[in-house]
Amino acid sequence: MTNDPFSKCHPTVNFLYFLGVIGCGVLIQHPAYLAAGVLCGGLYYLLLNGRGGWRRILGLLPLFVLLAAINPLFNTQGQRILFRIFGRPYTLEALLYGGAIGAMFVSMMLWFGCYDRVLTGDKFTSLFGNLIPAISLLLVMVFRLVPHFIRKTRQIVGARRSIGKGVGEAASGADKLKHGLVVLGALTSWALEGSVVTGDSMRARGYGSARRSSFMIYRMTWADYALLAAMMGLLGLVIGFAAGGSAAAQFTPSLKIAPVSGFRALGLGAYWAYLLIPTVLYVKEAIQWHISRLKI
Amino acid sequence: MKKSHWATLLVFFVLIPLTLYLGTRLSGRSYYITGTLIILELMVPFFMAFEGRKPQARELVVVAVLSAIAIAGRVAIPIPHFKAAFAIIMLAGIAFGPETGFIVGAITAFASNFFYGQGAFTPWQMMGYGAGGMLAGFLFRRGWLPRNRWVMAAFGFAAVIVWVGPLLDCSHIFLTLGSTDWVGALGYLISGFWVNLVQGVCTMLVMLLFGIPLLEKLDRIKMKYGMMEDENGL
Repeated sequence: MTNDPFSKCHPTVNFLYFLGVIGCGVLIQHPAYLAAGVLCGGLYYLLLNGRGGWRRILGLLPLFVLLAAINPLFNTQGQRILFRIFGRPYTLEALLYGGAIGAMFVSMMLWFGCYDRVLTGDKFTSLFGNLIPAISLLLVMVFRLVPHFIRKTRQIVGARRSIGKGVGEAASGADKLKHGLVVLGALTSWALEGSVVTGDSMRARGYGSARRSSFMIYRMTWADYALLAAMMGLLGLVIGFAAGGSAAAQFTPSLKIAPVSGFRALGLGAYWAYLLIPTVLYVKEAIQWHISRLKI
Repeated sequence: MKKSHWATLLVFFVLIPLTLYLGTRLSGRSYYITGTLIILELMVPFFMAFEGRKPQARELVVVAVLSAIAIAGRVAIPIPHFKAAFAIIMLAGIAFGPETGFIVGAITAFASNFFYGQGAFTPWQMMGYGAGGMLAGFLFRRGWLPRNRWVMAAFGFAAVIVWVGPLLDCSHIFLTLGSTDWVGALGYLISGFWVNLVQGVCTMLVMLLFGIPLLEKLDRIKMKYGMMEDENGL
């Protein structure tokens, strides 16, 4: 696990935060806002994943270029024609629009990457355990069963190999498929028999006899409430400014991007502040840790 | 009336029109947001119905096991990019009926993304898999389609090509395409077609070779332990 302080906040705070990030990220297409989304998302992603995070970030670069370059092929609106391809105009406006779409896509990939690290399955189920008890229980069981089944699959494959029925890397696709389906069949039979035992055991121990109570491992502390209030305040500012047209941007048929100056910069500032919350918490904790180590 | 029936009425006559109305007033990438909200709203009645009928322990465990097999299945078959998940979901629908098919599909899509990464496509994938499982349940349980391996294979192939694949492509189109330009959308659908074709062939092969054996296993479990037979259709 990482030492990320934002991950240790209450799941409600985490969930609402990502809801805000993803909602704003998909809706706002102003270049300055998009750049903020990509930079802050990348920064937090690197903090969460360490050096290994660079690989994914570099892998997203070609995707960005591809999305930017493809858009003008479909969207031929725009005034400044760069060149003609297949008789259709390839315009600067459409290329910039493609860049904006690419940036939005990249920032979504980065933020979803962060979401996966922060809002793990146990947090999700504890968050929604009261609202959707049966489905949360289902999810918990699936999370447990998948690694269990993968281990069992390896055992079945090993057992088959030891009686000379394994397939090597060089085997043909048809052989691999047949072999795989036999393994899958064995796994299914075994798993279904086990499911009946589990189900009966659950019943014997009283599942369904009363309302399920749920144990909440997380508590809202005053720090969580303060963070939630700060988040809502910043998000309110962003939405307010965006609704007032400060984050408006139109690319095709003609470039119309709202200027970021004076009073309007406040909206962008609020957006930066909102996106930087986890990073700021991380840096604050790192500095505190450093200072307390110096004191020893 | 049951709670979930009220929810269905509410979703169809209040929430979806409201979303569509608000969606037309939003600027920017409103197609994606509107589409995703409608998909989430459509799934609410199904989940409420599942919660509302207080599923028994055995049913819960069987659904969880089927979902987990669909997710873990890709370890069993040593061919890269070969996914048996959707075929297993449809077989679950055929064996246990449309409601179970929907839940197995939606849960499989959602839970597998906890292992392989969530994305903007998650709700669309849940809807695609869930509705696919449900449709398979309807058609084969009601006897409208025979439980024949060739029919099931053809159905699986068609379900991927015309439903699950295009639905996932639509989530990408709405997210990445600026304007709803028919030429652009068509381009995306054609470029996604090859991926869908591979998926469709995988599903078809699994249905063809594994469909009847898996159904026999599921039917045997149902008979052996007397499961899921007291409710209508289930």
